[in-house]
Amino acid sequence: MSRKGVGLAAFDRSRLTSAQYASHGSTLRSTNAQALETQLAVFRSLLQQFAQTHAKDIRSNPTFRAQFARMCAAIGVDPLASSSQSGSGAGGSSSIWAQLLGRSVNDFYFELAVRVVEVCGETRGENGGLIELRKLRERIMRGRLEGASEITEDDILRAVGTLKPLGSAYSVIKVGSKPYIRSVPKELNTDQSAVLEAAQVLGYVSVSMLMVNLGWMRARSQTALEDLVGEGMLWVDRQSAEWEYWSPGFMLENQDFTGTTG
Amino acid sequence: MSTPPLSTTPTPASSSSPFPFPPEYSFPPFFTRQTNLTTHHAQLTKWSALVLAYARHHRILKLSLSPNSPATSTRMPPKDDDQAKQEIDTSELFHNARLNRQLAARDVRAVIDFLRKDGRAEYVAGTSSAGTDGEGSGSGGEGDMAWVYWRTPEEWAALVEGWVDATGQKGSVLTVYELVEGEGTKGAEFHGLDQELLLKALGVLVKRGKAQVFGQEDSQGVKFF
Repeated sequence: MSRKGVGLAAFDRSRLTSAQYASHGSTLRSTNAQALETQLAVFRSLLQQFAQTHAKDIRSNPTFRAQFARMCAAIGVDPLASSSQSGSGAGGSSSIWAQLLGRSVNDFYFELAVRVVEVCGETRGENGGLIELRKLRERIMRGRLEGASEITEDDILRAVGTLKPLGSAYSVIKVGSKPYIRSVPKELNTDQSAVLEAAQVLGYVSVSMLMVNLGWMRARSQTALEDLVGEGMLWVDRQSAEWEYWSPGFMLENQDFTGTTG
Repeated sequence: MSTPPLSTTPTPASSSSPFPFPPEYSFPPFFTRQTNLTTHHAQLTKWSALVLAYARHHRILKLSLSPNSPATSTRMPPKDDDQAKQEIDTSELFHNARLNRQLAARDVRAVIDFLRKDGRAEYVAGTSSAGTDGEGSGSGGEGDMAWVYWRTPEEWAALVEGWVDATGQKGSVLTVYELVEGEGTKGAEFHGLDQELLLKALGVLVKRGKAQVFGQEDSQGVKFF
Protein backbone atom coordinates (compact mmCIF):
# COMPACT_ATOMS: atom_id res chain seq x y z
CA MET A 1 0.00 0.00 0.00
CA SER A 2 2.90 2.23 -0.66
CA ARG A 3 1.15 4.01 -3.40
CA LYS A 4 -2.29 5.39 -3.19
CA GLY A 5 -4.24 3.84 -5.96
CA VAL A 6 -6.24 6.08 -8.14
CA GLY A 7 -9.01 5.19 -10.43
CA LEU A 8 -11.73 2.58 -10.22
CA ALA A 9 -9.30 -0.40 -9.98
CA ALA A 10 -8.24 0.84 -6.54
CA PHE A 11 -11.66 -0.01 -5.15
CA ASP A 12 -11.36 -3.55 -6.46
CA ARG A 13 -7.92 -3.93 -4.97
CA SER A 14 -8.93 -2.72 -1.53
CA ARG A 15 -11.90 -5.07 -1.54
CA LEU A 16 -9.56 -7.89 -2.46
CA THR A 17 -7.08 -7.16 0.31
CA SER A 18 -9.73 -6.87 2.94
CA ALA A 19 -11.15 -10.20 1.79
CA GLN A 20 -7.69 -11.73 2.10
CA TYR A 21 -7.24 -10.30 5.56
CA ALA A 22 -10.61 -11.66 6.57
CA SER A 23 -9.88 -15.16 5.32
CA HIS A 24 -6.48 -15.13 6.95
CA GLY A 25 -8.04 -13.97 10.16
CA SER A 26 -10.60 -16.71 10.14
CA THR A 27 -7.94 -19.40 9.58
CA LEU A 28 -5.97 -17.99 12.47
CA ARG A 29 -9.06 -18.00 14.63
CA SER A 30 -9.95 -21.55 13.76
CA THR A 31 -6.43 -22.84 14.43
CA ASN A 32 -6.49 -20.97 17.71
CA ALA A 33 -9.83 -22.48 18.57
CA GLN A 34 -8.58 -25.91 17.62
CA ALA A 35 -5.52 -25.51 19.78
CA LEU A 36 -7.69 -24.38 22.66
CA GLU A 37 -10.03 -27.25 22.11
CA THR A 38 -7.22 -29.77 22.23
CA GLN A 39 -5.86 -28.04 25.30
CA LEU A 40 -9.26 -28.24 26.94
CA ALA A 41 -9.65 -31.85 25.96
CA VAL A 42 -6.25 -32.66 27.39
CA PHE A 43 -7.05 -30.67 30.49
CA ARG A 44 -10.37 -32.38 30.88
CA SER A 45 -8.95 -35.85 30.49
CA LEU A 46 -6.17 -35.02 32.90
CA LEU A 47 -8.66 -33.69 35.41
CA GLN A 48 -10.75 -36.75 34.89
CA GLN A 49 -7.74 -38.92 35.54
CA PHE A 50 -6.90 -36.91 38.56
CA ALA A 51 -10.42 -37.07 39.92
CA GLN A 52 -10.60 -40.78 39.27
CA THR A 53 -7.29 -41.63 40.87
CA HIS A 54 -8.02 -39.41 43.81
CA ALA A 55 -11.76 -39.91 44.12
CA LYS A 56 -11.28 -41.80 47.32
CA ASP A 57 -9.03 -39.14 48.75
CA ILE A 58 -11.43 -36.42 47.72
CA ARG A 59 -14.17 -38.19 49.50
CA SER A 60 -12.37 -39.25 52.63
CA ASN A 61 -9.70 -36.66 53.25
CA PRO A 62 -11.10 -33.28 54.25
CA THR A 63 -7.87 -31.37 53.66
CA PHE A 64 -7.45 -32.88 50.23
CA ARG A 65 -11.06 -32.13 49.42
CA ALA A 66 -10.65 -28.51 50.43
CA GLN A 67 -7.49 -28.25 48.30
CA PHE A 68 -9.26 -29.78 45.34
CA ALA A 69 -12.17 -27.40 45.68
CA ARG A 70 -9.74 -24.50 46.01
CA MET A 71 -7.90 -25.61 42.87
CA CYS A 72 -11.15 -25.79 40.95
CA ALA A 73 -12.03 -22.32 42.16
CA ALA A 74 -8.59 -21.01 41.16
CA ILE A 75 -8.99 -22.15 37.56
CA GLY A 76 -12.44 -20.66 37.48
CA VAL A 77 -14.68 -23.68 37.70
CA ASP A 78 -16.87 -24.61 40.60
CA PRO A 79 -17.70 -28.32 40.62
CA LEU A 80 -20.74 -27.67 42.73
CA ALA A 81 -22.16 -24.70 40.90
CA SER A 82 -21.90 -26.41 37.55
CA SER A 83 -23.75 -29.41 38.79
CA SER A 84 -26.47 -27.63 40.69
CA GLN A 85 -27.29 -25.52 37.65
CA SER A 86 -28.00 -28.52 35.52
CA GLY A 87 -31.33 -29.82 36.67
CA SER A 88 -30.14 -32.24 39.27
CA GLY A 89 -33.53 -33.86 39.28
CA ALA A 90 -33.03 -35.27 35.80
CA GLY A 91 -30.96 -38.34 36.47
CA GLY A 92 -28.95 -39.00 33.33
CA SER A 93 -28.19 -35.58 31.92
CA SER A 94 -25.72 -34.31 34.42
CA SER A 95 -23.04 -31.69 34.17
CA ILE A 96 -19.53 -32.23 32.87
CA TRP A 97 -18.32 -32.17 36.42
CA ALA A 98 -20.71 -34.75 37.62
CA GLN A 99 -19.57 -36.99 34.76
CA LEU A 100 -15.95 -36.21 35.40
CA LEU A 101 -16.05 -36.99 39.07
CA GLY A 102 -18.47 -39.85 38.81
CA ARG A 103 -20.77 -37.75 40.98
CA SER A 104 -18.77 -38.71 44.03
CA VAL A 105 -17.88 -35.21 45.12
CA ASN A 106 -21.30 -33.86 44.31
CA ASP A 107 -22.97 -36.70 46.11
CA PHE A 108 -20.81 -36.06 49.12
CA TYR A 109 -21.94 -32.46 49.34
CA PHE A 110 -25.55 -33.21 48.50
CA GLU A 111 -25.72 -35.84 51.18
CA LEU A 112 -24.16 -33.44 53.61
CA ALA A 113 -26.64 -30.77 52.59
CA VAL A 114 -29.46 -33.16 53.41
CA ARG A 115 -28.01 -33.66 56.87
CA VAL A 116 -27.69 -29.89 57.28
CA VAL A 117 -31.36 -29.48 56.42
CA GLU A 118 -32.29 -32.27 58.81
CA VAL A 119 -30.35 -30.87 61.74
CA CYS A 120 -31.64 -27.34 61.10
CA GLY A 121 -35.17 -28.70 61.00
CA GLU A 122 -34.71 -30.72 64.18
CA THR A 123 -33.29 -27.84 66.13
CA ARG A 124 -35.42 -25.04 64.72
CA GLY A 125 -37.84 -25.31 67.60
CA GLU A 126 -35.18 -24.68 70.18
CA ASN A 127 -33.02 -22.12 68.40
CA GLY A 128 -35.41 -20.24 66.16
CA GLY A 129 -33.62 -21.35 63.02
CA LEU A 130 -30.20 -19.98 63.83
CA ILE A 131 -27.43 -22.42 64.60
CA GLU A 132 -23.75 -21.87 65.03
CA LEU A 133 -21.67 -23.56 62.36
CA ARG A 134 -19.57 -25.32 64.98
CA LYS A 135 -22.66 -26.71 66.72
CA LEU A 136 -24.11 -27.82 63.44
CA ARG A 137 -20.93 -29.72 62.66
CA GLU A 138 -20.91 -31.31 66.12
CA ARG A 139 -24.44 -32.52 65.68
CA ILE A 140 -23.77 -33.90 62.22
CA MET A 141 -20.66 -35.68 63.43
CA ARG A 142 -22.59 -37.16 66.34
CA GLY A 143 -25.13 -38.62 63.96
CA ARG A 144 -22.52 -40.33 61.83
CA LEU A 145 -21.39 -43.86 62.20
CA GLU A 146 -18.05 -44.78 63.67
CA GLY A 147 -15.33 -44.62 61.10
CA ALA A 148 -17.23 -42.36 58.75
CA SER A 149 -15.07 -39.78 57.07
CA GLU A 150 -14.55 -36.54 58.87
CA ILE A 151 -16.40 -33.39 57.93
CA THR A 152 -14.96 -29.92 58.23
CA GLU A 153 -16.77 -26.64 58.65
CA ASP A 154 -15.59 -25.78 55.17
CA ASP A 155 -17.48 -28.79 53.82
CA ILE A 156 -20.63 -27.66 55.56
CA LEU A 157 -20.33 -24.18 54.09
CA ARG A 158 -20.05 -25.70 50.62
CA ALA A 159 -22.99 -27.96 51.33
CA VAL A 160 -25.05 -24.96 52.38
CA GLY A 161 -23.97 -23.37 49.10
CA THR A 162 -25.52 -26.24 47.19
CA LEU A 163 -28.86 -25.37 48.78
CA LYS A 164 -28.89 -21.96 47.06
CA PRO A 165 -31.11 -23.04 44.16
CA LEU A 166 -33.82 -23.95 46.66
CA GLY A 167 -34.38 -20.35 47.61
CA SER A 168 -33.02 -17.94 50.13
CA ALA A 169 -33.90 -19.86 53.25
CA TYR A 170 -30.49 -21.36 53.94
CA SER A 171 -27.63 -18.96 54.26
CA VAL A 172 -24.52 -18.22 56.23
CA ILE A 173 -24.48 -15.12 58.38
CA LYS A 174 -21.89 -13.75 60.74
CA VAL A 175 -22.74 -12.85 64.28
CA GLY A 176 -19.72 -11.32 65.90
CA SER A 177 -16.85 -13.37 64.63
CA LYS A 178 -18.70 -16.66 64.41
CA PRO A 179 -20.45 -18.00 61.35
CA TYR A 180 -24.02 -19.18 61.80
CA ILE A 181 -26.32 -21.10 59.50
CA ARG A 182 -29.68 -19.47 59.22
CA SER A 183 -32.52 -21.70 58.09
CA VAL A 184 -35.40 -19.23 58.24
CA PRO A 185 -35.71 -16.42 55.73
CA LYS A 186 -35.35 -13.61 58.21
CA GLU A 187 -32.95 -10.75 58.61
CA LEU A 188 -31.51 -9.73 61.94
CA ASN A 189 -31.37 -6.04 62.62
CA THR A 190 -28.21 -4.56 64.05
CA ASP A 191 -29.52 -4.48 67.61
CA GLN A 192 -30.44 -8.16 67.46
CA SER A 193 -27.05 -9.07 66.06
CA ALA A 194 -25.38 -7.08 68.81
CA VAL A 195 -27.40 -8.90 71.47
CA LEU A 196 -26.63 -12.33 70.02
CA GLU A 197 -22.98 -11.41 69.83
CA ALA A 198 -23.01 -10.34 73.47
CA ALA A 199 -24.72 -13.58 74.42
CA GLN A 200 -21.83 -15.55 72.95
CA VAL A 201 -19.56 -14.48 75.79
CA LEU A 202 -21.29 -15.94 78.83
CA GLY A 203 -24.13 -17.76 77.15
CA TYR A 204 -26.67 -15.25 78.37
CA VAL A 205 -27.40 -11.55 78.61
CA SER A 206 -29.71 -9.42 80.70
CA VAL A 207 -31.18 -5.99 80.32
CA SER A 208 -28.69 -4.41 82.69
CA MET A 209 -25.77 -6.15 81.01
CA LEU A 210 -26.80 -4.61 77.70
CA MET A 211 -27.27 -1.22 79.30
CA VAL A 212 -23.81 -1.28 80.86
CA ASN A 213 -21.87 -2.87 78.03
CA LEU A 214 -23.56 -1.41 74.98
CA GLY A 215 -24.69 1.84 76.55
CA TRP A 216 -28.29 1.25 75.53
CA MET A 217 -31.39 2.65 77.18
CA ARG A 218 -33.52 0.19 79.12
CA ALA A 219 -36.35 0.26 76.59
CA ARG A 220 -34.03 -0.49 73.69
CA SER A 221 -32.42 -3.42 75.51
CA GLN A 222 -35.79 -4.76 76.54
CA THR A 223 -37.16 -4.53 73.01
CA ALA A 224 -34.20 -6.25 71.40
CA LEU A 225 -34.33 -9.07 73.94
CA GLU A 226 -38.06 -9.54 73.65
CA ASP A 227 -37.84 -9.57 69.87
CA LEU A 228 -35.28 -12.34 70.00
CA VAL A 229 -37.33 -14.33 72.50
CA GLY A 230 -40.29 -13.84 70.19
CA GLU A 231 -38.27 -15.26 67.32
CA GLY A 232 -37.30 -18.22 69.46
CA MET A 233 -33.62 -17.33 69.29
CA LEU A 234 -33.20 -16.78 73.01
CA TRP A 235 -34.61 -18.62 76.03
CA VAL A 236 -35.67 -16.70 79.09
CA ASP A 237 -34.70 -17.74 82.62
CA ARG A 238 -36.93 -16.09 85.21
CA GLN A 239 -35.51 -17.79 88.25
CA SER A 240 -32.48 -15.56 88.53
CA ALA A 241 -32.32 -12.23 90.34
CA GLU A 242 -32.65 -10.43 87.03
CA TRP A 243 -34.20 -12.24 84.08
CA GLU A 244 -31.49 -13.79 81.98
CA TYR A 245 -31.79 -14.44 78.28
CA TRP A 246 -29.87 -17.51 77.19
CA SER A 247 -28.55 -18.53 73.83
CA PRO A 248 -29.85 -22.04 73.06
CA GLY A 249 -26.45 -22.91 71.62
CA PHE A 250 -25.22 -23.25 75.18
CA MET A 251 -27.52 -26.19 75.72
CA LEU A 252 -25.12 -28.38 73.81
CA GLU A 253 -22.11 -26.88 75.50
CA ASN A 254 -20.14 -28.77 78.09
CA GLN A 255 -21.64 -28.48 81.46
CA ASP A 256 -18.80 -26.62 83.13
CA PHE A 257 -20.27 -23.20 82.42
CA THR A 258 -22.98 -23.84 84.96
CA GLY A 259 -20.55 -23.04 87.71
CA THR A 260 -20.70 -19.37 86.79
CA THR A 261 -24.36 -18.96 87.57
CA GLY A 262 -26.65 -19.37 90.52
CA MET B 1 -45.99 -62.15 67.72
CA SER B 2 -44.99 -65.60 68.88
CA THR B 3 -41.34 -64.92 69.54
CA PRO B 4 -40.96 -63.72 73.09
CA PRO B 5 -39.42 -60.28 73.26
CA LEU B 6 -37.52 -61.29 76.35
CA SER B 7 -34.55 -59.11 77.06
CA THR B 8 -34.51 -57.61 73.61
CA THR B 9 -34.07 -54.25 75.19
CA PRO B 10 -30.91 -53.71 77.19
CA THR B 11 -31.65 -53.99 80.86
CA PRO B 12 -31.54 -50.67 82.64
CA ALA B 13 -28.40 -49.96 84.53
CA SER B 14 -28.62 -50.85 88.17
CA SER B 15 -30.22 -48.11 90.15
CA SER B 16 -27.10 -47.28 92.09
CA SER B 17 -25.54 -45.62 89.08
CA PRO B 18 -26.62 -42.01 88.78
CA PHE B 19 -28.69 -40.99 85.81
CA PRO B 20 -26.63 -39.17 83.20
CA PHE B 21 -28.60 -35.99 82.75
CA PRO B 22 -28.72 -34.48 79.25
CA PRO B 23 -27.10 -31.10 78.60
CA GLU B 24 -30.40 -29.22 78.71
CA TYR B 25 -30.70 -30.15 82.40
CA SER B 26 -27.81 -27.75 83.01
CA PHE B 27 -29.40 -25.01 80.92
CA PRO B 28 -31.07 -22.61 83.37
CA PRO B 29 -33.96 -21.45 81.14
CA PHE B 30 -34.94 -25.09 80.72
CA PHE B 31 -36.70 -24.71 84.08
CA THR B 32 -38.72 -21.65 83.06
CA ARG B 33 -41.76 -21.97 80.87
CA GLN B 34 -40.80 -20.40 77.52
CA THR B 35 -43.12 -17.78 76.14
CA ASN B 36 -42.56 -18.47 72.46
CA LEU B 37 -44.90 -21.28 71.45
CA THR B 38 -42.43 -23.04 69.18
CA THR B 39 -39.73 -22.83 71.81
CA HIS B 40 -42.17 -24.06 74.42
CA HIS B 41 -43.00 -27.06 72.28
CA ALA B 42 -39.31 -27.86 71.90
CA GLN B 43 -38.98 -27.48 75.65
CA LEU B 44 -41.85 -29.90 76.33
CA THR B 45 -40.39 -32.41 73.90
CA LYS B 46 -37.08 -32.30 75.69
CA TRP B 47 -38.69 -32.53 79.11
CA SER B 48 -40.81 -35.53 78.21
CA ALA B 49 -37.81 -37.31 76.72
CA LEU B 50 -35.90 -36.56 79.91
CA VAL B 51 -38.71 -37.80 82.18
CA LEU B 52 -39.05 -41.04 80.22
CA ALA B 53 -35.31 -41.67 80.13
CA TYR B 54 -35.05 -40.95 83.84
CA ALA B 55 -37.94 -43.26 84.67
CA ARG B 56 -36.51 -46.00 82.49
CA HIS B 57 -33.12 -45.68 84.12
CA HIS B 58 -34.47 -46.01 87.64
CA ARG B 59 -37.34 -48.29 86.60
CA ILE B 60 -39.79 -45.79 88.07
CA LEU B 61 -43.44 -46.65 87.70
CA LYS B 62 -45.19 -43.97 89.69
CA LEU B 63 -43.46 -40.63 89.57
CA SER B 64 -43.96 -38.02 92.22
CA LEU B 65 -44.68 -34.68 90.63
CA SER B 66 -43.41 -32.67 93.53
CA PRO B 67 -40.19 -30.78 92.90
CA ASN B 68 -39.60 -30.53 96.63
CA SER B 69 -37.55 -33.06 98.48
CA PRO B 70 -38.42 -35.74 99.35
CA ALA B 71 -40.41 -36.61 96.28
CA THR B 72 -41.20 -40.24 96.86
CA SER B 73 -41.71 -42.19 93.68
CA THR B 74 -42.18 -45.91 93.41
CA ARG B 75 -40.23 -48.12 91.12
CA MET B 76 -39.73 -51.77 90.40
CA PRO B 77 -36.60 -53.25 91.92
CA PRO B 78 -33.62 -53.76 89.66
CA LYS B 79 -33.34 -57.25 88.25
CA ASP B 80 -30.19 -58.16 90.08
CA ASP B 81 -31.46 -56.91 93.41
CA ASP B 82 -34.85 -58.26 94.27
CA GLN B 83 -34.98 -56.81 97.72
CA ALA B 84 -34.04 -53.25 96.83
CA LYS B 85 -36.16 -50.46 98.12
CA GLN B 86 -39.13 -49.69 95.97
CA GLU B 87 -39.20 -46.07 96.94
CA ILE B 88 -36.87 -43.53 95.51
CA ASP B 89 -36.47 -39.81 95.97
CA THR B 90 -36.83 -38.23 92.56
CA SER B 91 -36.79 -34.59 93.54
CA GLU B 92 -33.63 -34.09 91.47
CA LEU B 93 -35.60 -34.61 88.28
CA PHE B 94 -37.54 -31.37 88.46
CA HIS B 95 -35.14 -29.56 90.74
CA ASN B 96 -31.55 -28.94 89.73
CA ALA B 97 -30.03 -28.08 93.09
CA ARG B 98 -26.68 -27.18 91.57
CA LEU B 99 -28.26 -24.51 89.39
CA ASN B 100 -30.84 -23.64 92.02
CA ARG B 101 -33.54 -23.96 89.37
CA GLN B 102 -36.75 -25.91 89.56
CA LEU B 103 -39.67 -26.54 87.31
CA ALA B 104 -42.86 -25.06 88.70
CA ALA B 105 -45.70 -27.45 89.56
CA ARG B 106 -47.80 -25.99 86.77
CA ASP B 107 -45.06 -26.70 84.25
CA VAL B 108 -44.52 -30.20 85.57
CA ARG B 109 -48.17 -30.82 84.84
CA ALA B 110 -47.72 -29.43 81.36
CA VAL B 111 -44.98 -32.01 80.79
CA ILE B 112 -47.15 -34.84 82.12
CA ASP B 113 -50.06 -33.66 79.97
CA PHE B 114 -47.72 -33.64 76.98
CA LEU B 115 -46.74 -37.24 77.78
CA ARG B 116 -50.37 -38.19 78.25
CA LYS B 117 -51.14 -37.16 74.70
CA ASP B 118 -48.59 -39.74 73.61
CA GLY B 119 -50.04 -42.37 75.92
CA ARG B 120 -46.82 -42.27 77.92
CA ALA B 121 -48.23 -41.05 81.20
CA GLU B 122 -51.38 -41.04 83.25
CA TYR B 123 -52.31 -39.43 86.54
CA VAL B 124 -52.58 -41.94 89.34
CA ALA B 125 -56.23 -42.11 90.24
CA GLY B 126 -57.27 -41.18 93.73
CA THR B 127 -54.19 -39.35 94.91
CA SER B 128 -55.72 -35.93 94.54
CA SER B 129 -58.35 -33.88 92.80
CA ALA B 130 -56.39 -34.12 89.57
CA GLY B 131 -56.70 -37.86 89.50
CA THR B 132 -59.70 -37.77 87.23
CA ASP B 133 -59.10 -37.68 83.55
CA GLY B 134 -60.16 -34.04 83.44
CA GLU B 135 -57.98 -31.08 82.84
CA GLY B 136 -55.37 -32.27 85.25
CA SER B 137 -54.11 -28.79 85.90
CA GLY B 138 -56.00 -28.23 89.11
CA SER B 139 -54.48 -27.51 92.48
CA GLY B 140 -51.02 -28.98 92.68
CA GLY B 141 -51.21 -31.06 95.82
CA GLU B 142 -48.06 -32.48 97.39
CA GLY B 143 -48.99 -36.08 96.91
CA ASP B 144 -49.61 -35.94 93.20
CA MET B 145 -48.33 -38.90 91.33
CA ALA B 146 -48.32 -39.97 87.73
CA TRP B 147 -47.72 -43.25 86.01
CA VAL B 148 -44.81 -42.84 83.67
CA TYR B 149 -44.97 -45.39 80.92
CA TRP B 150 -41.47 -46.02 79.66
CA ARG B 151 -43.31 -49.17 78.72
CA THR B 152 -46.98 -48.67 78.01
CA PRO B 153 -49.52 -51.20 79.32
CA GLU B 154 -49.66 -52.53 75.75
CA GLU B 155 -45.92 -53.10 75.77
CA TRP B 156 -46.08 -54.81 79.16
CA ALA B 157 -48.92 -56.93 77.83
CA ALA B 158 -46.76 -58.01 74.90
CA LEU B 159 -44.01 -59.02 77.32
CA VAL B 160 -46.41 -61.06 79.42
CA GLU B 161 -47.82 -62.68 76.32
CA GLY B 162 -44.35 -63.50 75.07
CA TRP B 163 -43.47 -65.05 78.41
CA VAL B 164 -46.66 -67.11 78.41
CA ASP B 165 -45.85 -68.38 74.93
CA ALA B 166 -42.24 -69.12 75.73
CA THR B 167 -42.98 -71.04 78.91
CA GLY B 168 -45.96 -72.92 77.55
CA GLN B 169 -48.45 -71.58 80.07
CA LYS B 170 -51.29 -71.23 77.64
CA GLY B 171 -54.44 -72.55 79.19
CA SER B 172 -53.07 -72.51 82.68
CA VAL B 173 -54.26 -70.37 85.55
CA LEU B 174 -51.91 -68.13 87.45
CA THR B 175 -52.48 -65.66 90.23
CA VAL B 176 -51.51 -62.10 89.72
CA TYR B 177 -49.25 -62.40 92.74
CA GLU B 178 -47.47 -65.33 91.12
CA LEU B 179 -46.86 -63.36 87.98
CA VAL B 180 -45.31 -60.46 89.82
CA GLU B 181 -43.57 -62.10 92.75
CA GLY B 182 -43.40 -65.78 91.94
CA GLU B 183 -40.25 -67.78 91.41
CA GLY B 184 -41.45 -68.70 87.95
CA THR B 185 -41.21 -65.23 86.54
CA LYS B 186 -37.81 -64.42 88.00
CA GLY B 187 -35.74 -62.93 85.24
CA ALA B 188 -38.78 -61.96 83.21
CA GLU B 189 -39.00 -58.28 82.41
CA PHE B 190 -42.22 -57.81 84.28
CA HIS B 191 -41.08 -59.51 87.48
CA GLY B 192 -41.57 -57.05 90.30
CA LEU B 193 -44.03 -54.93 88.38
CA ASP B 194 -46.66 -53.01 90.28
CA GLN B 195 -49.80 -55.16 90.51
CA GLU B 196 -52.03 -52.31 89.47
CA LEU B 197 -50.01 -51.74 86.34
CA LEU B 198 -49.90 -55.47 85.62
CA LEU B 199 -53.67 -55.54 85.82
CA LYS B 200 -53.83 -52.73 83.31
CA ALA B 201 -51.61 -54.78 81.02
CA LEU B 202 -53.73 -57.88 81.56
CA GLY B 203 -56.74 -55.74 80.73
CA VAL B 204 -55.24 -55.21 77.30
CA LEU B 205 -54.92 -58.96 76.84
CA VAL B 206 -58.49 -59.46 78.05
CA LYS B 207 -59.73 -57.03 75.45
CA ARG B 208 -57.92 -58.96 72.76
CA GLY B 209 -59.45 -62.19 74.03
CA LYS B 210 -56.07 -63.55 75.04
CA ALA B 211 -56.72 -63.77 78.75
CA GLN B 212 -59.39 -63.75 81.37
CA VAL B 213 -59.10 -62.16 84.77
CA PHE B 214 -61.25 -63.28 87.67
CA GLY B 215 -61.35 -63.24 91.45
CA GLN B 216 -61.47 -60.63 94.15
CA GLU B 217 -59.27 -57.68 95.02
CA ASP B 218 -56.49 -59.54 96.76
CA SER B 219 -56.60 -62.90 95.10
CA GLN B 220 -57.00 -62.25 91.46
CA GLY B 221 -56.16 -64.92 88.98
CA VAL B 222 -55.67 -64.94 85.26
CA LYS B 223 -56.07 -67.54 82.60
CA PHE B 224 -54.28 -67.25 79.30
CA PHE B 225 -55.61 -68.51 75.99
